[in-house]
Amino acid sequence: MWRSSHGKMSKETYRKFLHISTSGLAQEREEAKAKKEKSRTGNTSLLEKMGVVDFHVKAVPGTEVPGHKNWVVSKFGRVLPVLHLKNQHKRNIIKYDPSKYCHNLKKIGEDFTNATPISNLTWELEGGNDPMSKKRRGEFSDFHSPPKKMITVRKDESSTASLAVRLRPSRVMESLSSTQQQAAQKTPCDLITLPKSPQVPDSESQKLKHVFFQTSGLETTRNRNNLSDDDIDSEDELRLMIAREEKERAIWSSVNKSEDDHFEVVRDDFKSDVHKLHSLSGLGIKNNVSCLDSEDVLRNDSDCDSGDTDEIIAMKKNVRKVKNSTEFSQMEKSIHKKSLKNRKNHEPSDDRIKVHKGKTNIELAISQEVKPLGCKSPSDFSSSENADSISESPESEDDEEYNAMMRNCARVNLTLGDLEQLAGSDLEAPKEDTESDGQETTTKCDRASKSCRTPCSLHTGRQCIHPGEIVASLLKEDNTHGKQKPKANNLKPKFQAFKGIGCLYGKESVKKSMKEIVASNNNTKDQNCLKPEDPGGIFMELGPPYANGSSGELTPFQHAKAANDPTHIQPQKSQDHKVVSPNSSEERSGNPVSSLLPLTGKKSLSLGAKTPKIGSEEDCCHRTAKTGEGSRKRPDLSSRTAPETWPEAASRRDTQGSKTDPALSVKSPSSVNAKDKHAEDNQKRLAALAARQQAREAQKQLVHDALANVDGHPEDKPTHIIFGSDSDSETEEASTQEQSHLGMEPVKESVGRASGKLFDSSDDEESGSEDDSNRFRIKPQFEGRAGQKLMHLQSHFGTDDRFRMDSRFLESDSEEEQEEINEKKTAEEEELAAEKLKALNVVQSVLHINFSNSVSKGSGAAKKFKDIIRYDPTRHDHATYERKRDDKPKESKAKRKKKREETEKLPEVSKEMYYNIATDLKDIFQTTKDASAKEDAVPWNEDCGGEKPEEVHDPAALTTGAEQPGGFTFSFFDADSKDVKEETYSVETLKPGKIAWQGAPRFQDSSSEEDNVTEETDETKPSPGEVSLPEKETTRFFFFSKNDERLHGSALFWRGVGSNISSSSWEARTNNLRMDCQKKHKDAKRRVKPKS
Amino acid sequence: MRPLTEEETRVMFEKIAKYIGENLQLLVDRPDGTYCFRLHNDRVYYVSEKIMKLAANISGDKLVSLGTCFGKFTKTHKFRLHITALDYLAPYAKYKVWIKPGAEQSFLYGNHVLKSGLGRITENTSQYQGVVVYSMADIPLGFGVAAKSTQDCRKVDPMAIVVFHQADIGEYVRHEETLT
Repeated sequence: MWRSSHGKMSKETYRKFLHISTSGLAQEREEAKAKKEKSRTGNTSLLEKMGVVDFHVKAVPGTEVPGHKNWVVSKFGRVLPVLHLKNQHKRNIIKYDPSKYCHNLKKIGEDFTNATPISNLTWELEGGNDPMSKKRRGEFSDFHSPPKKMITVRKDESSTASLAVRLRPSRVMESLSSTQQQAAQKTPCDLITLPKSPQVPDSESQKLKHVFFQTSGLETTRNRNNLSDDDIDSEDELRLMIAREEKERAIWSSVNKSEDDHFEVVRDDFKSDVHKLHSLSGLGIKNNVSCLDSEDVLRNDSDCDSGDTDEIIAMKKNVRKVKNSTEFSQMEKSIHKKSLKNRKNHEPSDDRIKVHKGKTNIELAISQEVKPLGCKSPSDFSSSENADSISESPESEDDEEYNAMMRNCARVNLTLGDLEQLAGSDLEAPKEDTESDGQETTTKCDRASKSCRTPCSLHTGRQCIHPGEIVASLLKEDNTHGKQKPKANNLKPKFQAFKGIGCLYGKESVKKSMKEIVASNNNTKDQNCLKPEDPGGIFMELGPPYANGSSGELTPFQHAKAANDPTHIQPQKSQDHKVVSPNSSEERSGNPVSSLLPLTGKKSLSLGAKTPKIGSEEDCCHRTAKTGEGSRKRPDLSSRTAPETWPEAASRRDTQGSKTDPALSVKSPSSVNAKDKHAEDNQKRLAALAARQQAREAQKQLVHDALANVDGHPEDKPTHIIFGSDSDSETEEASTQEQSHLGMEPVKESVGRASGKLFDSSDDEESGSEDDSNRFRIKPQFEGRAGQKLMHLQSHFGTDDRFRMDSRFLESDSEEEQEEINEKKTAEEEELAAEKLKALNVVQSVLHINFSNSVSKGSGAAKKFKDIIRYDPTRHDHATYERKRDDKPKESKAKRKKKREETEKLPEVSKEMYYNIATDLKDIFQTTKDASAKEDAVPWNEDCGGEKPEEVHDPAALTTGAEQPGGFTFSFFDADSKDVKEETYSVETLKPGKIAWQGAPRFQDSSSEEDNVTEETDETKPSPGEVSLPEKETTRFFFFSKNDERLHGSALFWRGVGSNISSSSWEARTNNLRMDCQKKHKDAKRRVKPKS
Repeated sequence: MRPLTEEETRVMFEKIAKYIGENLQLLVDRPDGTYCFRLHNDRVYYVSEKIMKLAANISGDKLVSLGTCFGKFTKTHKFRLHITALDYLAPYAKYKVWIKPGAEQSFLYGNHVLKSGLGRITENTSQYQGVVVYSMADIPLGFGVAAKSTQDCRKVDPMAIVVFHQADIGEYVRHEETLT
């Protein structure tokens, strides 16, 4: 339905399209013609010049090209050659004119019969399954490439389908469905071009459904999605799918040709390269590329789980560790931890790191390059840091590289002294230039920048100590930005000149960080990295490093940041100009702040160390407060803190201030002329605000000090009580307040105590004070649930000292409760454990394996362990568990040793008993050989036993003549006792061999003299067999003769050829035997029957 | 929310064991804490003990989900694995299938994996074996059932299905409302 309608639609639309397009085309063609003609006319002249004939003019098919004999203009205006082909069969020559249609048909199409088949035209490339050879063969494993293939497949399919239509419609359907499915999956738009489905028999409705099911990929997915939510079981689904698949396969199997594998088969323990990479990175051997990849990953999947990011970060860390010193990595760790989630935060922090390195105004330059207006307006500047991060996020990779590069560079660490020197040198620069330059440059620029401009320009040539200059020198290298670069150059030094206030800043921050930060820049960096999001925070945090590393340069940025609001810019400027000068006057005259803080002033002597700290804390507060406030506070702070801790600095600052101030004051009118009045108002307002803030601070300080005195340092208290003294009353009040708040003990008691204390002696007093301090401590016994109970009890008892609830009362309760809790817990745990066991059992049953041992063992062991008696060696009754140690083992050891030695020792053998071996085998064999050789020629000594010794000794004498004289101790080797023993053994072992060997010659061919020899030698132990051997003199041949004595016994083993008697007798015997057997059987039966 | 009955446990474990085999034991008996399976709204959740206790404070009808949903029991009491279980099963998978980048999208739209899209397969994968489908970059994409054994995969034509789709991470988008 859908398809047909679609087809119709498409047809209609196509017609329409045709209609439109034909009309349009006609127009187009005409236009094109006109154009062509024009171009031709233009070209013809050229062609003529070149000597080419213009044949386009008469482009009628069939016309010969003038001047060229065999070239014809063909149908479409092309010039084609006329071919003259020699016919193979006939002699004549065929002329083939391409312009003539009939020629096309006839002349060339003749010899199709002889045409070589396509298979012959193509050839196969040899090669295995490796990807290269595959590619050479034109098989690409890419999934996208197959559309071509698919089309061919479809064609095949359609062809097969058309063939199969008559035979099996159902199959066709399936094949079509499969093709359609493929098409749907690959190219949904191809649906229209699919071969039209043949009319489907109604019986195949289900398959039809399938067709529809698969025609559109989206539909299928939707359907399946629905299925997944429905309650159709996955198994059923799977079964359906499998069935379908099998049907398809049935078809495919016919078409199937084993194709080359595009996939690889891997082992179970396969690990892909990705993992390898990870593991590598874990080892810190990662290269930059992978690092970048990981970063990309990090950037790409922002919502990847924490574990992954951790990994990635760990990798990064490692990489950087490899690259850098440890401090950087640590620092970055902190950064990474902070910026796990959002990459953007990370970037700025990186930027900041660069800033701290003191090489970084490049960044600024970049920001300026990116935003050329950035340097014009301070407001932009204020956001420039943020903008940096944003604008540079695309360039993050560059940044990374840059980071990596810069890390290898040396860092410029500037101490305060250096800064001072620099400041001094900067300030030497002529001041007239500042004005002119400042006016030349944009008025919108920071006043600071104006003032510093010249020094920098002067400076650039001179020194390269200043980080800014280093950066400038760096910048010179990439000199692509002609205009912006000088600006950048100017910008950096302009901060130097601002050292007047910059120093203030620096010193404040330095003072703040004096004890901790100055020593190590890293700390400050870390601090900076802590709060990358908050601009105020940035402002605050940026302070110290600037002070340390490059305070002069970067302070303008602080200002700029302070002036976040464009509306505040002008007022601030003016305020700054004007407030600075008052500052100096204030400093000289005397501190208003100090007057405001009389208490601190007094205490500053005793708590000399404290006040600066507080000041620094305040600084912190101020800085963290809004930027506007920070800017406002600056003068105050400087004025207030200076006299206390920085007397010399103040003086120096004074001079600096006096130096810088004129410049500023000179400039301010030029820049702020218009808004003077407004600025003044604003200034007043700001001053008022500042005053209020100071008052508040003073109050805070008061309270702070008071509190610190109360609980922190009781020893600081004066030992003498001064009645009516403020501090005492205050503490009293505080204590009462606390009492009322805490409600721990009744107020009465405390009052009574206090009164008693007042009139008691100093000893009591001290104790009382201790009591006091004790009273307000958090009592551990009243904490927790048990503590609550105790408290309740205590409240019942009242204030009676006798019933005071100590911590002693607590324990029992807590124990009980803990037990309860434990019981609960254990119950739960047991439940869970039981469940777990159950689950494991199920797992076991499911998997049909036995692994419960490991699991149950652990739990079982844990349970058992409770019952196990712990052996305590200190307890006497545990001696029963001790195994009594005897001296046996020692003894046994010794014994064992002895035994071993004994065993090792060879048993002593009496030398009296020995075998006398008169001969050796060699002789025996020799003699036999001789005997066989002689063939009974030599009549051996069968009967005469007396001769034997001689005979035997002769061969022995031949072989071992030397040993002969020694009597009968014969040996192959030396005459050691050991050897003797061995000999004895050897003789024994040899004997049976001898006998066995002798067994054979008995029947076959051997002389009997050996037997005699053995008999002689074995005089001590004559073997019976040997003795019984018949000794007869016979003529021995190798072949058996008639009546050979050797065959006498053998008659038993074989039957004569012609003897039939034996068989008949055998039959008779068997019959007899059978009869006997049957008889016996019957007898037995008979006997059994009566019994039963 | 209740613990599974033995029958339910068995059915579920049988299903999961198709994918991770004896590694199932590691899911049940974890060294890093007690984890258990809980049934809630016909869905099976894999929960740590701690979270389970916390979830016990919430009434059953208000509780949407707890822990990680492993799948659900159908009305016919069969277990159907959900894609949310992938994170737990993928590391333990015994049989894996990697699909080519071109076929990834198709799979993530809920289609079966054709042989042409098959990039790599674990050897000795038997037919109808549960497999975890990975991208070539080793990102687990979902579950499947091997339609062909590894050996059959070699012979079969490129358009034949080699892995039946069971669940894929595209469901996080497609079934956003039903996944818990």
